[in-house]
Amino acid sequence: MKTIFLGELRLNLKALFIWSIVIGSFGFICILLYESMQGDMREMADAFSSMGAFSDAFGMSTLSIATLKGYFAAEIGTIHSLGSGMFAAVTAIGILSKEEEGHTGEFLLSLPITRKKVVLSKGLCVLFSLIIFTCICAFFYSMGFIVLDEELPAKEFLKFMYYQFLMNIEIAGICFGISSISGKNRMGIGIGIAILFYGFDLIGRIIPDLKEYLFLGPYSYANASAIFSGADTPEKAVAMAAFLTSVGILFAFLYYDRRDLAS
Amino acid sequence: MANVIDIRNLTKSYGKNRGIIDVTLSVESGDIFGFLGPNGAGKSTTIRSVLGFLKGYSGEIRVLGMDSVKEHEKILANVGYMPSEAWFYSSMRVRDVIRYAANVRGLDCSEEAEKICEKLKVDTSRKIKELSLGNRKKVSIVCAMQHRPKLFVFDEPTSGLDPLIQRNFFELIHEYVEEGATCLLSTHVLSEVNKYCKTAAIMREGKLKMLKSPKIDEDMFLKFYEEENI
Repeated sequence: MKTIFLGELRLNLKALFIWSIVIGSFGFICILLYESMQGDMREMADAFSSMGAFSDAFGMSTLSIATLKGYFAAEIGTIHSLGSGMFAAVTAIGILSKEEEGHTGEFLLSLPITRKKVVLSKGLCVLFSLIIFTCICAFFYSMGFIVLDEELPAKEFLKFMYYQFLMNIEIAGICFGISSISGKNRMGIGIGIAILFYGFDLIGRIIPDLKEYLFLGPYSYANASAIFSGADTPEKAVAMAAFLTSVGILFAFLYYDRRDLAS
Repeated sequence: MANVIDIRNLTKSYGKNRGIIDVTLSVESGDIFGFLGPNGAGKSTTIRSVLGFLKGYSGEIRVLGMDSVKEHEKILANVGYMPSEAWFYSSMRVRDVIRYAANVRGLDCSEEAEKICEKLKVDTSRKIKELSLGNRKKVSIVCAMQHRPKLFVFDEPTSGLDPLIQRNFFELIHEYVEEGATCLLSTHVLSEVNKYCKTAAIMREGKLKMLKSPKIDEDMFLKFYEEENI
């Protein structure tokens, strides 16, 4: 199992660092841009806070983007939410299916290891990749605050990174389940799922009738504006996340163990 | 002699499509068993069922006296398999692939791997993506042999190999079989079966027929490919 885990990690290392550095440095640059935009931000903040449902959707009614905290929640929150969601989806959706797409499944599964152990090793590799990704991005964002000589709102920042990580696990769990069915790398579906969830959350925050269904999506508890404005964590959403993640992972274990392997 | 492979009434279908029908087959210990048949006859389906790549079949498969489902991991520890299309992780180097296979087995096979690589002229420093089919097959042979398994399963092993490497490959098989191993050799090459196999069977349209002798002439052999029913 250790060999498969490490081998998988080595194969994914390049993608992991590219995604982490791109998203992290993008966030870092955005933080640095705050200083040059600070003057214009006050007028923008006033405009953004009086846009009704849109202000609520982006948290601008409770947070001011004229402050670094509000700016971080609105800008970097969006970048990280979308970027990390897509990374989680892309990593998980190909991890099992790529063996058949690359015709390496016969080599791997002819070695003395059960399919359940293969699924476990690969699942752990996805989890480990998400941890590394989150740490690298958190490092870049923290550096942004340090370079600007601004105080990092540590409590909210850690809570934000933690719930983003949970959201990544949920998306990865769902995509992991899909990966066990497919004989091809469905990267497009993975990215689509991440964007769909993000869009659902965005629309749900604008349309009042949809608000009570927001808990269905992973972005409901990972919303940067809600976290930085000190809103309570929606427990229903976290419970739903735990349920969907478990279903995705369990499905991957059960289905992959029972299916025919394409040559 | 004990049977290394024991297949009883194996049937596997793919939805409405035929796979294999009621296959019963025994391979004795120390045998080099020739497994012939046209493309799509069901040879690979039989092999892939034995190795656990295919599920949902009816019948019973025992390998090395063990149940193929319940003791799957144990069986694979004693099997060396070479698929017809040898694919590996393209970004890895040959030596990493060979070491990877040994590490998953929890064994240090470096000495044996080195011996086989020398015999088959395998350049271990090259990347998999740079290799031709023949060279990938040679890597596959090393991965299948380096742990000195009790059973070899080769699916069309010599296609893409040059004549010298083919000869060296069969020398290696003979060496291992003399030491007690057994070999199931799926092939389209009649001369290989005539020359190296002790027993043989032919598959056609999902059904299996044991041959009285592996020494059959070409006309007879081709007849099996042409006939509607066996």
